[in-house]
Amino acid sequence: MGATRTLFLCLALGGGLWAAVGAPAQAGVRVASLNLCGDELLLRLADRSDVASVTWLARDPRGSTVADLARTVPVNRGLAEEVAAEKPDLVLAGAFTTRTTTAMLRRLNVPVMELTVPESLGEVYAQIEAVAARLGVPERGARMIADMKQAFETLPSATHPAPTALVLRPNGFTAGRGSLADEILTRAGLDNLAARLSPDRLGQLSLEEIVAAKPDLVIINGAEDAPPSLADELLRHPALAPYAAQGRLVSLPPRLWACAGPQLAEAAQRLAAARRRVAP
Amino acid sequence: MMRLSLLLALLTLALMAVSVALGPVPFDLAAAIGDLLAGRPTLEALVLADLRIPRAVLGAAVGFSLGLTGAALQGLMRNPLADPGVVGVSGAAALGAVLAFYFGWSSVFALALPLGGLVGAGLSTALLLMLARRGASTATLILAGVALNSLAGALTALALNLAPSPYAALEVVFWLMGSLSERSLQHVGLALPFMAIGWVLVLATGRAMDALTLGEDTAQSLGFSLRRTRLLVVGGAAACVGASVAVAGAIGFVGLVVPHLLRPLIGHRPGRLLVVSGLAGAALTLGADILVRLIPTRPELKLGVVTALIGAPVFLVLLRRLRLDGE
Repeated sequence: MGATRTLFLCLALGGGLWAAVGAPAQAGVRVASLNLCGDELLLRLADRSDVASVTWLARDPRGSTVADLARTVPVNRGLAEEVAAEKPDLVLAGAFTTRTTTAMLRRLNVPVMELTVPESLGEVYAQIEAVAARLGVPERGARMIADMKQAFETLPSATHPAPTALVLRPNGFTAGRGSLADEILTRAGLDNLAARLSPDRLGQLSLEEIVAAKPDLVIINGAEDAPPSLADELLRHPALAPYAAQGRLVSLPPRLWACAGPQLAEAAQRLAAARRRVAP
Repeated sequence: MMRLSLLLALLTLALMAVSVALGPVPFDLAAAIGDLLAGRPTLEALVLADLRIPRAVLGAAVGFSLGLTGAALQGLMRNPLADPGVVGVSGAAALGAVLAFYFGWSSVFALALPLGGLVGAGLSTALLLMLARRGASTATLILAGVALNSLAGALTALALNLAPSPYAALEVVFWLMGSLSERSLQHVGLALPFMAIGWVLVLATGRAMDALTLGEDTAQSLGFSLRRTRLLVVGGAAACVGASVAVAGAIGFVGLVVPHLLRPLIGHRPGRLLVVSGLAGAALTLGADILVRLIPTRPELKLGVVTALIGAPVFLVLLRRLRLDGE
């Protein structure tokens, strides 16, 4: 859900004008973020005093893993005008979101660092390293990566054959081959059925295909307290009730594997624990 | 007429069977039915009971509602272009259902969803009848429908944009085009009772409809109360269309096309047209829903796309014929 909300944030963007250019000289870098994934890295890596602002989405515990931290810093709504007025030395933005704001900030000579959507753990580590370097705290980035690698190393060992799993996202989307979620499933010792059923990274499956594939685990990737929508209603369809009754339905909030950060290791740990329940 | 009804009923049943047999995964229907009847919770039984049967039942019930309401509105307004979709009743029902669903009322009180659709459909039908009562021409009725449709569509889009879920704004297509994809028995349980009440109310007006073809004064002198007939149709249309739209979105053109296809077979007896229009509406909707699943698009086409592809040309031909008659 986090990614979608961030997408909405960018769609809601307007433009603004800011005449004054040039940041005041000071010791630390003042950094603003226009993207929820940027918010999470910024709040985890930088000193609080260096954070100019993060998006308002970072304060929503449904989508954010840093909601508590975000309450201690100012928030923006992704508008060029407000971010420019903070005179940041660097702005973290998503490569696919807030395009108009990003373009506006570039015209105003505000340095912008674009974050892509990582599609593997390798790309996740590279992104953490790059952001930490730009923030001037490479050692904190290195520690975060080392902690994550250690957490992945210490996952309970896989069994053979690996239990099968299918990720079900709102609207029937799944996590297919070559996605970050696919790699995390594999690391958690699960066999991602969608990698076989769906040709693309973000395939869409019908409930009938999902039920017929007979996965050992169905991983519901939606917030339980999400506001009503048809997309989320699909996750509560009665056809999935037998899975819930047999304890083979795992709920994994999307915030745990939407962005680069230590929460990915927590996602893998929860999945591995669920795997041990169905295949001890 | 009995033979036609029987034929259409058999066609509807056959299409329901095809609908149940059809799905994205290969499927042993006989085994599934056996498991379901024996209460064995197998995969086949689950798919049949929770996914395929609800879809077929809803397709038939929604189609029956739309066909029946179309015939009733055309008879009551004595206007060949009256149809829940064209005159804005479906659009208003969608608005009511959207408000009930996205702002959380239906998660507190499940019946709020069909009731929301019912209120929207009821208000718009009553408004249209007030217009039609003062002897509105076809043009006035259609223009009122255009106004109601665009107002309801705009307000639906506004409501979805203001809704707290980030997915809401993308789901406007469902409400404007309609779909039977991934519906469940819960939807059937919510909508079917209201639809059934609506059917009874509308079908009770059959003889009054026939009398109305002789003019309102004659109908009244024959002992039919116009007031009662209007109330029955407004209430029935609101219940049928409101409940249909609340679970399947606004599926267009079914109520418009079906009575016109059947009128030559029935003769100009609007009372008789009611049941057969309902049955043919069910068959048309099921057929369109089968087609939607046979066309290999992902995600599957919305049902309203197919009914519009069939309905819009018929609508244009009708308009042309009406103009020629007028000249």
